[in-house]
Amino acid sequence: MKTNAMKLVIKRLLSSITVMFLLITMIFILLRISPGSFTQKFISPDLNPALAEQVNASFGLNEPVIVQYKNFLTNLIRGDFGVSYSFREPVSTVIIRHLPLTAVIAFFSFLIQIFIGILFASFVLKKNNVKLDSFFSSASIFIFAFPSFVVGVILLMIFSDLTGLFPSSGIKSFDYDQYNFIEKLLDYFHHLILPVFTISLGGTALFYKYASNNMKEISTKYFITNLRASGVKEKTIILKHIIPNSISPLISAAGVELGILLGGTLITEVIFSLPGMGRLTVDAILQRDYPLVIGCVFISGALIILSNFLADLIKGSLDKRVIKEMLG
Amino acid sequence: MKYILIFITALLVSFSSCQNESVVINDRVVIAVGEDIESLNPLYSFSGTESNIVELLFLSLVQHRWDNSKSNIVSYPMAAENWSWNKDSTELTIELRNDILWTDKEKLTTEDVVYSFDLYSDPAVESRLFGTFDNFYTKEDQHIDINKSFEIISPNKMIVRFKPYSNPNLFDISIPLLPKHILEKYKRSDLPTAEFNFKPVSNGPFKLKNWDRNSAIILHSDSASFLYNKKNISELIFKIIPDYNGRINQLRSGEVDLLEDIKSEDADNFKKLNGFSVGPIKGRQYDFIGLSNIDNEEYNRTKKIKPHPIWGDKEIRKALAMAVNRQEILTEFLGNYGQLAYSPVTNIFNTSSDSSISPYQYNLAEAKNILKERGWNDLDNNGIIEKDGKEFSIKLFVPSGNPLREFAGTIIKNNLREAGVEVQIETLEFGVFIENVMSRKIDAFMAGWSVPLPVELKPYWYSDLNQSPLNIVGYSNKEADQILDDLGFSISSKKYFDLLHRFEIIMHEDQPVIFLYWIDNIVVYNSRIKNIVIDPLGVIHQCWEWNLEK
Repeated sequence: MKTNAMKLVIKRLLSSITVMFLLITMIFILLRISPGSFTQKFISPDLNPALAEQVNASFGLNEPVIVQYKNFLTNLIRGDFGVSYSFREPVSTVIIRHLPLTAVIAFFSFLIQIFIGILFASFVLKKNNVKLDSFFSSASIFIFAFPSFVVGVILLMIFSDLTGLFPSSGIKSFDYDQYNFIEKLLDYFHHLILPVFTISLGGTALFYKYASNNMKEISTKYFITNLRASGVKEKTIILKHIIPNSISPLISAAGVELGILLGGTLITEVIFSLPGMGRLTVDAILQRDYPLVIGCVFISGALIILSNFLADLIKGSLDKRVIKEMLG
Repeated sequence: MKYILIFITALLVSFSSCQNESVVINDRVVIAVGEDIESLNPLYSFSGTESNIVELLFLSLVQHRWDNSKSNIVSYPMAAENWSWNKDSTELTIELRNDILWTDKEKLTTEDVVYSFDLYSDPAVESRLFGTFDNFYTKEDQHIDINKSFEIISPNKMIVRFKPYSNPNLFDISIPLLPKHILEKYKRSDLPTAEFNFKPVSNGPFKLKNWDRNSAIILHSDSASFLYNKKNISELIFKIIPDYNGRINQLRSGEVDLLEDIKSEDADNFKKLNGFSVGPIKGRQYDFIGLSNIDNEEYNRTKKIKPHPIWGDKEIRKALAMAVNRQEILTEFLGNYGQLAYSPVTNIFNTSSDSSISPYQYNLAEAKNILKERGWNDLDNNGIIEKDGKEFSIKLFVPSGNPLREFAGTIIKNNLREAGVEVQIETLEFGVFIENVMSRKIDAFMAGWSVPLPVELKPYWYSDLNQSPLNIVGYSNKEADQILDDLGFSISSKKYFDLLHRFEIIMHEDQPVIFLYWIDNIVVYNSRIKNIVIDPLGVIHQCWEWNLEK
């Protein structure tokens, strides 16, 4: 088993490196051939036109694309993404500053989606009520169809504008630095509740639907009927038999969802003015900040690959046959 | 399930005790901005927000303010206590204030002043002012010749020497000063990425308290500054809120105190609410339809200037100006927060604008007549005029994400259709749009210019396209060139405004672009802010004088 797992890790590592190389090469070429330039912000009567040329030269943008690409790869091998044109700092510093917020939001949102989704699916299964099942099923489709910008705006209106219960933007209060550790923690969560809820709502409905369908299917299997006939408690059946047997497809979906969440959630970040990876990436694209775009794409791509890989490993640890299947 | 409900209820109760942010500190003002800045170093403050913030952190030798009684800019002492010009205005003797300290407690000296000019003009530094020191003695690489231009007499007294026959004024020395003892530790080519850009040592009325990237920039009043007054605001926060509706909601809820660039309908709503004041900043930006005066294809291929086959003719441009109902756009979209434009000369100065000129009125019949006189007729009765078998069709490019231009595009399209001109509106992403305009790949577009103060016209309208990178329509007129040259020399105020008036008449006659309207920058602020001044120089340039109603 250990050998198979190791083989899987090596196989995935090699394919991931290839995918990442192709991804950043494609992004590098697309950015260079797309119109627009970082120096367009130097178009002003107050500025000397020579300044744009000077800045282009200092960032190496006047070199032929192939030379730029060679320099880029050489630096990348050393772990250096270059300096962000707009932040005037190393790309890695900028990403490290923005990634933790996205990771925290992704982590909590992911837990909420999985936990609430499975909890409601178990609740409906346990009640075994057709009307309740139908209500939750319709409600989950309705919620999933709601775009996050609508959810965000409604939540802001109710919980911020009307009741003043939660702050409408940012991740911390202006007086954050004067708080003690507990106050800081509370302040941070106070600011993050609405955005996390906004991001989680659609995913929770999705996971509910996944979990509910799988659990219903498993609950009709003979071994479950047998357990019920043997007088095993329904709660025990759900927790120990139905959930573990129905969780595998859920893990695959969770892997994809986690990757997407870690890549940033642009709309929610804009609505709640959060300095996350989504906003960072889009701003970098609009400002033609090439090194930062490539850095963001690299990190998002790596996180998606990693989360999918983790999902596969978890599936493999639950069912050994899965690893064999993956190894072909 | 019940445990979850209990948990959520407990959470809501615990958070309900938390207060809203901005009401906690009474002498704090929160200003909402749409995007973060890149640097707090005046060398690299390229955007308007950056310049505004940097001016609060770093003093200049002189400062400018708007004099309402004269409708003009006046200079007043800041780091310089006094100054005097020699007879031929080539030498300026400056005495510094004795009480200016950097935030690390070092004293500001004339060494700092000279070093600042040295840095701003050094090509290796790539500062925003590089290449703009035309009135100083400069070397071939545009770096100021420090030995020729400056003489330090004492730590508080110095002389600035300008080139003979140049036109120096106090704007030439109005640059935010930098601390030599800090910046000389850096290699000059490393300055664009120096830590100083994010944690500056400053000398202004405010100092940096905290900068949370993409969230907020918090400034605190510096009690060591001679501009400090404990009755005035102690904290100024620039809160980054990318969404326009978010900014509006937070202004309404009191989380934010001041907001610029507000839409006219929102301004009207705020006017009806208690506790808010509305004020427009006039005459700083205008929109226009750019119709290339020259044949771009020919120019890009051969660098030779040939008039554009259709709108190289100024009468055609005039006809199109008459066919566009600009007043309708001004009323419908801008809610009359603006004025019709007829030239690029701002009318904020009493004497700058020639009141005898009036904008071309919407006159469809006259527009049709002119087009007919120039040989454009609808021979095949399809509603579109043609000449030499070619229909009059315009592909008008508009940058995306600008609701005003999108709205105006629709009106213009309908207006010109009535005159027999077919218009296709094409929207381009802003970066792509700018590149296409600057490289002369598109012939017709809708854009706008922000107007610098003091008035700067040569980069936009001078015939030599090598000297006027912003002359994006390729306009050319010898008399206008002569005026633009003369405006650069030292001339009397009367002569200056006479030339400006003549320039306006030429612009109105030639219509190098179809001037549409001046757009007001509408500012809404919480009425608890007192002593606030809104004028053409902006709204926050003297905010250390603001105080709050308790």
